[in-house]
Amino acid sequence: MSVPGSVATRRQVMLRSGLGFGTTVLASMLQRDAAASDALSAAARIAPRAKSVIWLFMIGGASHLESFDPKPALNRYAGKTIDETPHADILKSPYLENERVVAFDPNNGFVRTECFPLQTRFRPHGESGLEISDWWPHVASCADDLCLIRSMWTEDSNHGAQLQFHTGRHRVDGFFPTIGSWAAWGLGTLNENLPEFVVMGTPVADCCGGQEAHRANYLGPQYDGVPLSVDPHNSMPYVSRDPQMQAREQQAEFDLLRRLHTMTAHQYPDDTALTARIRSYELAFRMQTAVPEVVDLSQETAAVQAAYGVGQKETDVFGRQMLTARRLAERGVRFIQVYHGSNGGAGSWDAHSNLRRGHARLCRQVDQPIGALLKDLRQRGLLDETLVVWATEFGRTPGSQHTSGRDHHPYGFSVWMAGGGIRGGIAHGATDELGFHAVEDRHYVTDIHATVLHQLGLDVRRLQVPGRKRLERDFGTPIHGIIDA
Amino acid sequence: MFLESVVNQLLRDTIRPAAAAVLCVLLLPAESSRAGSEIYTNAVRPLLAEKCVSCHGAVRQQSGLRLDAGSLILQGGDSGAVVVPGQPEESELLLRVTADDPDLRMPPEGDGEPLTREQTDLLTEWIRSGAAFPEDEPIPEGPSSHWAWQPVRRPAVPDVSDPDWSHPIDAFVFRSWQEHGIAPAAMADRRTLLRRASFDLIGLPPTREQMAALLNDRSDHAWERAVDRLLASPHHGERWARHWMDVWRYSDWDGYKMAVRGSQRHIWHWRDWIVRSLNADRGYDRMVTEMLAGDELAPEDPNVLAATGFLVRNYHNSNRNIWLDATVEHTAKAFLATTINCARCHDHKYDPIDQREYYAFRAIFEPHHVRTDRLPGQADLMQDGLPRAFDASPDAETYVYIRGNEKHPDKDHPVSPAVPVVLGGSYEPAEVWLPVFASWPSLRDFVVEEDLERAQQQVRAAEAKVATLTGADGAEASSGPAQEALHVARLKLASLQARLEADRGRAGLLPDSTPALQKAREQTALQKEQEYRVAAAELNVHRKQAGLEAARSIDTEPERKKAIQKAEKELSTAQKELEKVRQDAAKDDQKYTPTGKHYPARSTGRRTALARWIVSRNNPLTARVAVNDIWMWHFGAPLVENVFDFGMRTARPEHAELLDWLAAEFMEHGWSMKHLHRVILTSRVWRLSSEVTADSAEADPDGRFLSRARVQRIDAECVRDSILAVAGTLDRTMGGPVVPFREADESTRRSLYIEHAYEKQATMLVLFDAASPNECYRRSTSVIPQQALAMVNSDLTVRSARQAAERLSQEAADADRFIERAFLELLSRPPNPEEQAACREFLLQQTDELQPNRQAVSEAGSGSGQTDMSPEQRARRNLVHVLINHNDFITVR
Repeated sequence: MSVPGSVATRRQVMLRSGLGFGTTVLASMLQRDAAASDALSAAARIAPRAKSVIWLFMIGGASHLESFDPKPALNRYAGKTIDETPHADILKSPYLENERVVAFDPNNGFVRTECFPLQTRFRPHGESGLEISDWWPHVASCADDLCLIRSMWTEDSNHGAQLQFHTGRHRVDGFFPTIGSWAAWGLGTLNENLPEFVVMGTPVADCCGGQEAHRANYLGPQYDGVPLSVDPHNSMPYVSRDPQMQAREQQAEFDLLRRLHTMTAHQYPDDTALTARIRSYELAFRMQTAVPEVVDLSQETAAVQAAYGVGQKETDVFGRQMLTARRLAERGVRFIQVYHGSNGGAGSWDAHSNLRRGHARLCRQVDQPIGALLKDLRQRGLLDETLVVWATEFGRTPGSQHTSGRDHHPYGFSVWMAGGGIRGGIAHGATDELGFHAVEDRHYVTDIHATVLHQLGLDVRRLQVPGRKRLERDFGTPIHGIIDA
Repeated sequence: MFLESVVNQLLRDTIRPAAAAVLCVLLLPAESSRAGSEIYTNAVRPLLAEKCVSCHGAVRQQSGLRLDAGSLILQGGDSGAVVVPGQPEESELLLRVTADDPDLRMPPEGDGEPLTREQTDLLTEWIRSGAAFPEDEPIPEGPSSHWAWQPVRRPAVPDVSDPDWSHPIDAFVFRSWQEHGIAPAAMADRRTLLRRASFDLIGLPPTREQMAALLNDRSDHAWERAVDRLLASPHHGERWARHWMDVWRYSDWDGYKMAVRGSQRHIWHWRDWIVRSLNADRGYDRMVTEMLAGDELAPEDPNVLAATGFLVRNYHNSNRNIWLDATVEHTAKAFLATTINCARCHDHKYDPIDQREYYAFRAIFEPHHVRTDRLPGQADLMQDGLPRAFDASPDAETYVYIRGNEKHPDKDHPVSPAVPVVLGGSYEPAEVWLPVFASWPSLRDFVVEEDLERAQQQVRAAEAKVATLTGADGAEASSGPAQEALHVARLKLASLQARLEADRGRAGLLPDSTPALQKAREQTALQKEQEYRVAAAELNVHRKQAGLEAARSIDTEPERKKAIQKAEKELSTAQKELEKVRQDAAKDDQKYTPTGKHYPARSTGRRTALARWIVSRNNPLTARVAVNDIWMWHFGAPLVENVFDFGMRTARPEHAELLDWLAAEFMEHGWSMKHLHRVILTSRVWRLSSEVTADSAEADPDGRFLSRARVQRIDAECVRDSILAVAGTLDRTMGGPVVPFREADESTRRSLYIEHAYEKQATMLVLFDAASPNECYRRSTSVIPQQALAMVNSDLTVRSARQAAERLSQEAADADRFIERAFLELLSRPPNPEEQAACREFLLQQTDELQPNRQAVSEAGSGSGQTDMSPEQRARRNLVHVLINHNDFITVR
């Protein structure tokens, strides 16, 4: 969108000082321009703790009650209605008013009152003794790196909450910049060969926000998440050379284009868009190599691939994505958003029935790759500067639905973070006895955004552009209690 | 001075106001007042503006108090002073923002978050330091003097001394240059101008012939002629339709699989209406009126009904409030640049529009709904049809949603339709009685004829079948089933005829009808319908019985068993159906089925009244807003920066008089857009060069004073269309159903016709900042590497480069000539000697590199493709491909 106005002036100075426009000079100028645009946002910076974020999003609403928030009371009261337990006041809580409905759905999105027992067991793990369910053995083996946040709440009791988790706004309010685009906008890139905000996995379906869950909206398309496929033959639209064109042939084309552009730049020294266009061709040229390279996992040892579950049926896809995520973070990509469970509709984690079978299967797909990622990052000394976030749009009802599942639950659910200067081995916040309402240290979704952006070194209050007023709640507040001092 | 600069530095940093406030206490007294005044300007005033001014400002003065200027703050309100300089603890303002009692605390609950500790500290320190403010601080103007809400009066064209600048647009701008001591750029050359005009008016690059025609035209009116030729091109309507489609939120239908969630199928009829209207230079006033109320103005004219696509586009299946909110918001933004949507939950914070007025505006649209009418020649509405608006519930009530929450409608106080009072004018809806065919669309002649014809065809087909069977072997028995089918077809026709007759009677189309006659008609219709239904069900049973027989005669297992099971199941279903139909026929409470839906015979006229009010000569906004948009599309930037908000937050623009002159000119020339285009393109201001001189860079750094043209990146659609145009493959067919978005790279249709909906957009267009189907009042122009990748690697550009190179080679065998023609075609200018030399060198080297004997050493695995091209031709393809990737291929200078 806007190109820093200072570029033209600097170029004029160079021209007036008699400097030519040879390729070398141009290249060094391009670098400096990039540095200058980074400096623009320097005012919004604070000391960063993390360089990159790996953001894992489980589509459909993963159950907090079968993952990171044990509520044995549900086993005790199994079959009773909440009214019949000592916690009947849960159903009179003012927190219930936070729900905002887009469209009435006669089937889903209700408060379910018949207590449904936990579908799996919890055990304490690590020195911290964090209780994690048996469906997450690999993640649990990293318990001392995890900061569980057990007191999330959101507004949408339907799957528009997927969008809401990324923009901080209810689906009805429209589309807004997402967390990843704010990070890209605020920070700029660390790698001249790759985009700063990359998205993997099939996106949220269009019912629930679609591509808008990783777009930049009014910040401009250069801050949109750039979709990357782990298919080495088709990693990004138009990133591969057309089969009608040889590599040498294309190289010759780029050379001529650079020559012609340089001549034009001589003629129009004030044309900042032209400067930006020249730079974009340089980056595009490098992306043609860098993007296929980053998804080329053959560069990894067999042991590493095996650890991520690459090559095993259930874990292959997510394992490749996790390994690629690490490679992207290593290369300085700022924000790596990975979706899991997209199924063209609400998402596979949406366990209205058969929760036990469904969740156990989905956990098998992601648990080992996520565990491997955490260990790999730690082993390579990258965990300190890489913040891993695991999230989902809402939790699931303590009450049962269709006798074997749980309904949507916006009033209390869990996410976790690891690395990037976040304290490990702690649980922050809590839901009530039945896992219904977040009651201690309640956090709306933008508190997660604020914490992530804070760790990246951004002052969240500065993340606003003229003419686009953000509400108090859009900014969120960093959760200082979980940040490593 | 050092101290002062430190303070200034801090003050600019409003995020740390408390620190600044603390520091300023340490200052010397003389500097204290000045610093206090700066604190006020940099921190206190923005804070008050954010938290207090919506209720205590120029628009609203709760308790007679205004807090939008220092002098007014000290003046206090109805109950006296609110700030006592030097004494924070005596200042009501501070007491109220720090009160614990929610009934006393400001801002009131629901109107904003309480002030933070830093913010109250800031106010305390400012008051303690003496509550200073700049002496020359202006008092913000009230709504009654807001520039955009004054009636449009045509200002006198300034009398400029230089006759070169006497064109009205030039005269206004020239005067502004004189006032600011600015010298304009030189005039652009003719090549640059024709390229600029061609993209501007038809969205395609000029051809070499068109360029030559202009360059060779030595008459005084050469330029006017060139402009007129472009305006007369049918492509003009296509180009400008896309602009308005941005603002009017054109969207094809979106949804999951076959289910429509937003907009409607076949909405492209509206797009074609826009193109046609622009080509015919239909007045903007008429276009707006037809889009809002075409169904009330010309209820039977499909060419006008198509215009209501503007309303249809807002359809949303899951929630009527989302649908109507979008209708309200974007009607007000598109035509009036008014952000009425800000008043949905509470009174507008900046403009004098109350929450109730939001719902009054909504009430205008409350009765309307959408439906799809049949079009001649197509009975299947999935294939085609005309989506259009109509008043489905003339008596629907509108309620204020308390705090915008649809769960809390204020049912005690229904809202009547009205327009915002601040915009003046009168809003007087009058009910419209619709002609009979508008409410009985199934009785329109072509529908009746087509349906009868189809029923008759079925009879004829059945007759033919009977004839063949009887003729073949003369055996009566074998024609039994065919005879029965013929019988059913005849009954079906009779049933249709009787139902039509009954419908006509109901619709009042039969003269001299009486209730008794009508009753008899409906009785007949019912009887014929039931006869047909019973016979059809019997026929079905007979067919299934025959099917079962056939299954039994199969002689292989397990096929036989499976077929029998299936046939038995089908027979059983058919028998149940027959049973049900027979039972229905025996009941005496049955009514015949009308041939189509019957809609209300009256329409509220609310939308017609709205349209009349919008296009009234006295509406202060409509023409200004439209002219501002049009200006933006000609110049790359509007006169009023915020194109969808002309409210009080938008200050009077630099060229306000020019805007008003254009608005008056527009209205007084029948709201003709082509007239406006002509006026603008024949001005010298539009024809200025974009070259930046040292002087103009200094005096007019961002081009706000129009002292030079803007360099513009062409729109997404123009990028794609230009590639096809230079390849010579552009399909110039106009109108019709959309090209599916996934076929965009292969299609050669203009980009306007490619599917455009939420989650259904062509990647190539999205990369170049195509409009968001949801909202796009102004395009952005990004420069991102994915654009370069698309231009370098897409099949579209590689293929088109080859086609263009082949085309050009036919005209120019010689390399130098080829280079020159390629530049002329792609960049609308000849190459300079340096470029010519570089390209010549490239062609030679590439031709050499691509010799077959060298091909062998090309790396393994790379596509070598296109061996049918000679090395020379392949090198030329490469050169054209480079020029397609040249910045100036997608740039207008």
